[in-house]
Amino acid sequence: MASDNIYLPYLMKVDGVRDETRDVRTLRLKFARDEDAAQFSFKAGQFGEYSVFGAGECTFCIANSPTRAGCVECTFRKAGRVTKALRDLEVGDTMGFRGPYGNVFPIESWYGKSVLFIAGGIALPPMRCVIWNCLDLRDKFKDITVVYGARTVGDLVYKDELKEWSERADMTLIQTVDPGGETPDWNGRIGFVPTVLEKAAPASAGTIAIVCGPPIMLKFTFPVLDRLGFPRASVYTTMENRMKCGLGKCGRCNVGGVYICKEGPVFTAEQVARMPAEY
Amino acid sequence: MAMLLARKNLHALLRGAMEKKYRVVGPTRTAGIVLFAELSDPGALCLDELNTQNSIKEFFFPKSETLLTYTLGKKDVAIADDFAPPRTVLIGGRACDARSLVALDRLFGWDYKDKFYFKRREATCVITLACDRFDEACFCTSLGFGPRATEGSDILLVPAEGDAYIVEAVTDKGRALIAELEDVFTEGTPGAEKVAYPEKKFDLAAVKPWLERNFDHPIWKEEFLSCLGCGTCTYQCPMCHCFDIVDEGDIHGGARCKNWDSCQFALFTLHTSGHNPRPAQASRWRQRLRHKFVYYADKFGTEACVGCGRCIRNCPVRLSILDKLVLIGREAAAAPAPPAGAQPRGVTKRWRATTSIFRI
Repeated sequence: MASDNIYLPYLMKVDGVRDETRDVRTLRLKFARDEDAAQFSFKAGQFGEYSVFGAGECTFCIANSPTRAGCVECTFRKAGRVTKALRDLEVGDTMGFRGPYGNVFPIESWYGKSVLFIAGGIALPPMRCVIWNCLDLRDKFKDITVVYGARTVGDLVYKDELKEWSERADMTLIQTVDPGGETPDWNGRIGFVPTVLEKAAPASAGTIAIVCGPPIMLKFTFPVLDRLGFPRASVYTTMENRMKCGLGKCGRCNVGGVYICKEGPVFTAEQVARMPAEY
Repeated sequence: MAMLLARKNLHALLRGAMEKKYRVVGPTRTAGIVLFAELSDPGALCLDELNTQNSIKEFFFPKSETLLTYTLGKKDVAIADDFAPPRTVLIGGRACDARSLVALDRLFGWDYKDKFYFKRREATCVITLACDRFDEACFCTSLGFGPRATEGSDILLVPAEGDAYIVEAVTDKGRALIAELEDVFTEGTPGAEKVAYPEKKFDLAAVKPWLERNFDHPIWKEEFLSCLGCGTCTYQCPMCHCFDIVDEGDIHGGARCKNWDSCQFALFTLHTSGHNPRPAQASRWRQRLRHKFVYYADKFGTEACVGCGRCIRNCPVRLSILDKLVLIGREAAAAPAPPAGAQPRGVTKRWRATTSIFRI
């Protein structure tokens, strides 16, 4: 984006399409112009505005790790006009991408510690970027644990990667589905993410926790982490609100005086506690 | 001696600008309503009303701005974003209108610079009229400035005795326009200024601390029940700047547009999941007040309100931001700030187990 037009997207080519569930899909995007690809870089936690010309723009986190750059991936659920149009794209089609925007997970400051990821449903994609980033720097961290839950077995995303993580000896994956969401052959846990987390009771000493999920899950997971003894400064989350510009101008993503697109989307639980209850 | 513009020379000034190929924008009567619009003829200028219904922001931040155009191919898309706004003379705004531009500059210029706004700013010469009257909705003086403030203007015209305006060239752009159209101006001894100051109605210094302390307060539920959520206040406001980005086109191509939006609409913050962080109209009003007097002030050092009174005059249910600010001033005086370090209301140390759905 050499242009002075801050709303002008990069032109991207759809390079790969993968269905995660019946309504969730991942797109892998490559830059249409080599010079854009050469100067583009991002860090774990940042987001972008993905657009289909004629349908509009949509905000998602960048789902791939910066350690596996060269492309931009997004995972989305078909829900409205833009996500339907994104779902109609095929390999080779052109779309738009603006970004990267927002702040980042301070991964370097976690070196030497254990990392605990807690995600619910479609909130694994923003976390996947960080998980792979940590796994690709495996020797920098002690234990790596992922607690991931969805409403039903069919709603778990990244099934191939979940299989790979469950087979890895250097990390722990705890999978759960909400009661009633299990299938006869389900061998993970059954229960809501905060409950399963409390039962698993991971050690809090020297551990960074990263939580991502719908607002209701955050509201029940933070107290569990409090009880498990996690200091709030060691608990991170990535927040979402409806966004349009991503540039701190359009005025809709604020929680109190905090603009999620500029000061976020990554916050510590300490920062979230200071926000008014309007998220 | 001062530079003067005889009232009868106003039309000559506009005609001169039109002859120099400026687009001239000013208050004009359209279907009975006085609005800022492009003037086709100097005679269309209408200075009868104290304030126009719309603000001048739409000549810098239009209701719909094309950010780019796209042409759809089979697999490819071509995009273009040529943009050159017309050279414009904008006459007839008030000191409050002009001040809003300076405040908006900070928003559109911080971190990422919005070229559409700034190119329009550069291409426009703002000629402001100081007020010789006010009405009950005016409250510029309560916000710490007044009807003959020069901030944001390129030229200020101050009405004076003797059917003339005293001309104050504020910026280089204003001086250049005066030089270009020098024939219409005269030198002379000015008569007394006819400027009318509304009285100060509330204590601005008390508003922000009160709003910061009282995220939860009965007034949010009690005072804003009558709001219809129509968004008129935000559309007429010279400072409200929230926007949406949408694509408009057909199967061959179209445009990506930046369109005005309003925090008073329920859809404004609605998540895809159905969750809405601001589920009630009262919470949207709280956002409007806190944005204008707390968040904007914290970020940009000025309130996002200029006291023009448009939102008050045009509200279909007569909800007045001024009445609420006066009320907040009274509340603040009755319940002064707790000592420093005390926990503010509305932000508790415990996590809230309820969702915001049950809160306003």
